[in-house]
Amino acid sequence: MPGDYAAIRDYAVIGDGRTAALVRRDASIDWLCLPNLDSPSVLAAILDPQRGGCVELAPSAPHRAERAYVPGTNVLTTTFRTEAGVARVTDAMTLPDGRLGPFRELARRIEGLGGEVPMRWRVAPRFNYGRGVTRITRRSPFPTADCRGDAVAICAWDAGDLRCEAGAVTGSFVARAGSRALLALVAAHGEPLVFPARGEVESRLDSTAEFWRAWSARLTYDGPWREAVVRSALALKLLVFAPSGAIAAAPTTSLPETIGGDRNWDYRFSWIRDSSFTLEAMLQLGCHVEANSFFWWFMHATRLMRPRLQPFYRLDGGAFAPETALPLAGYRASRPVRIGNGAAHQLQLDTFGNLLDTAFGYANRGFGIDRETGTELAQLADFVCTIWRQPDRGIWEVRMEPRHFTHSKAMCWVALDRAIRLAEAGTLPATHVARWRDEAANIRRFIDERCWCEPRQTYVRFAGTEEVDASLLMLAIMRYEDPRSPRMRGTIDAIQRELGRGPIVYRYRGDDGLGGDEGAFVCCSFWLVEALALAGRRREASELMARVLDLANDVGLYAEEIAVDSHEFLGNFPQGLVHLALISAAVACAAEPS
Amino acid sequence: MTIGAALTGGVVGTLVLTTILTAASELRVTRIDLPFLLGTAVSANRTAARAIGYGLHFVAGLVFALGYYAAFIVLGHAGWALGMAFGLLHASFAGTALVNVILPAIHPRMGTFYNAANSEAVLELPGFMLLNYGRATPIVTLLAHLLYGAIVGAFIGASAH
Repeated sequence: MPGDYAAIRDYAVIGDGRTAALVRRDASIDWLCLPNLDSPSVLAAILDPQRGGCVELAPSAPHRAERAYVPGTNVLTTTFRTEAGVARVTDAMTLPDGRLGPFRELARRIEGLGGEVPMRWRVAPRFNYGRGVTRITRRSPFPTADCRGDAVAICAWDAGDLRCEAGAVTGSFVARAGSRALLALVAAHGEPLVFPARGEVESRLDSTAEFWRAWSARLTYDGPWREAVVRSALALKLLVFAPSGAIAAAPTTSLPETIGGDRNWDYRFSWIRDSSFTLEAMLQLGCHVEANSFFWWFMHATRLMRPRLQPFYRLDGGAFAPETALPLAGYRASRPVRIGNGAAHQLQLDTFGNLLDTAFGYANRGFGIDRETGTELAQLADFVCTIWRQPDRGIWEVRMEPRHFTHSKAMCWVALDRAIRLAEAGTLPATHVARWRDEAANIRRFIDERCWCEPRQTYVRFAGTEEVDASLLMLAIMRYEDPRSPRMRGTIDAIQRELGRGPIVYRYRGDDGLGGDEGAFVCCSFWLVEALALAGRRREASELMARVLDLANDVGLYAEEIAVDSHEFLGNFPQGLVHLALISAAVACAAEPS
Repeated sequence: MTIGAALTGGVVGTLVLTTILTAASELRVTRIDLPFLLGTAVSANRTAARAIGYGLHFVAGLVFALGYYAAFIVLGHAGWALGMAFGLLHASFAGTALVNVILPAIHPRMGTFYNAANSEAVLELPGFMLLNYGRATPIVTLLAHLLYGAIVGAFIGASAH
């Protein structure tokens, strides 16, 4: 019901390469930031139904709703069935078509498919995460709402008489068989509004669907689970911030890792650790343009503080992301609602391995890396030699005291390994290769001596513990360790045994400096699939893959986490890393055994 | 008083005026965007419109500077204070008639009071004193035009000495 919290699983996402909106099963739009993915929200009912703002559109009679993406697109349809008729809502963030159009446009087409369906709608924008004073004025030709430098107009055609009431614009109409109504929320930022004509919105809605169909048709993957892979690619494309090529981890902030808990983070940034997965997935799917722009965004963003690296950067490449709390109720009272991310200045050693592996993957596919960039990458490898002995916060950004995380050390080894290979190929200067080799050997020795548990035959989460951690699967995936080696077999078995719950895999069960419990990270399940496939346990991998795919929501999307017992989605949604891991796992399962 | 000084003052004044309006927009104080408004009269392409709009805005800045110059000659006196008074008049004219009435009348893509937006996209009307673009817009445009006038007046006044 509008005004209430929906399950995270009940949302679907639409977007335009600049921002994204979450549409729930009953067609209410509960999340939209304008003008960009990381701008303040205008709709945030998902975090606070009272103050957040939303766009509601549903039958006023009892109804059932079904929804699906138009195949191969990011255009969503919701079909409402009442006793008296059927109506369909088609939602999209439209793409520019070369004509003078709104800066951003959210279009909703309502078609009567049979009988009569009484529809009602309500648009309640709330600028600046609900903190701004929203002023709605009704002036020709459409009602507008504005707050400081932002404005939206509520455009409606054949959607009933418009009423402005209590900070919202409302209307009602009857969708009869063959009828067609249209709503559009058009936005301006720092400029006058552009009011579209109806025909232009209709045309853009159609051309947007056509663009997505053509884009997904170009994906080159033909292996098993193609539908899930294509949906993942489409979801990832929505996370690509078109002006820079950066990929956001998710389009949302503070969807909780535990209902009612405080593990609520802003994911509207681009994480370095997702980079090698991103590049590899894009190249595997034939998205060379996206891969190219991502790689160079990535190299430019990290240049700012090199050789030191932040775990993530803003979508515009900036490094400043102060963490603050918003006065919103939070998803099902999960507070604080955070914007910005305090993990920006953590030391996370694995980022070096991710960056150099990304560069290695890029160069290995025949893309050129210039001499200056090669020199900078070599400086990074030199820096790894000086820093790998330090404890860090690790891949999971723990908020306890730093530790010698096994995954972090292994990724430092990956950094040096890739640097050596790039130097051997002539891409990096080879002056310090001998030092890189020595330090890589030292790292391996450290891991062998302090991060391997002989009695339990498994690598461990960090030096001095006996816990395991799902990130150890990356040792196989990143080829630190031969996936078929006895050590890796033991580690995979230990992870399955100690962290697995059916198809679900916890990331770890030990302390991380934060209170409360959490769900299981979905990406870990796909990593396990990939590690099993690489280890030659292909039947196990395929069976697990099928079971994890069953955990997706009805439109094929995943949140960051999933509750072990209820399979409820938790955390930010949809999460890019999960969909990257899905693609990577599918490709590994589809690959010829080596 | 020289025409050269008027044109130089016009260029510098327009630079300052544009910078103030752009900064105010970036600070989310107003949505006024004069280059966008002017450029979309010529092109529907946003990028091209902005580039053309900046050019048109500078031409307008020079034309107004020549107008100020003519007024200074008639009055036989020029200086920053008098220029600022012209700026006040200029801002009032822009807010009440120039951008609010004349521009919508001649702009092919700007909505009018009678427009129903059923043929093609239209730009949002500025409204009286440009208030549709944000409540602070009159203050920002007034400040920008006062500075423009002061700069043009100062340049022309300096050339008189």
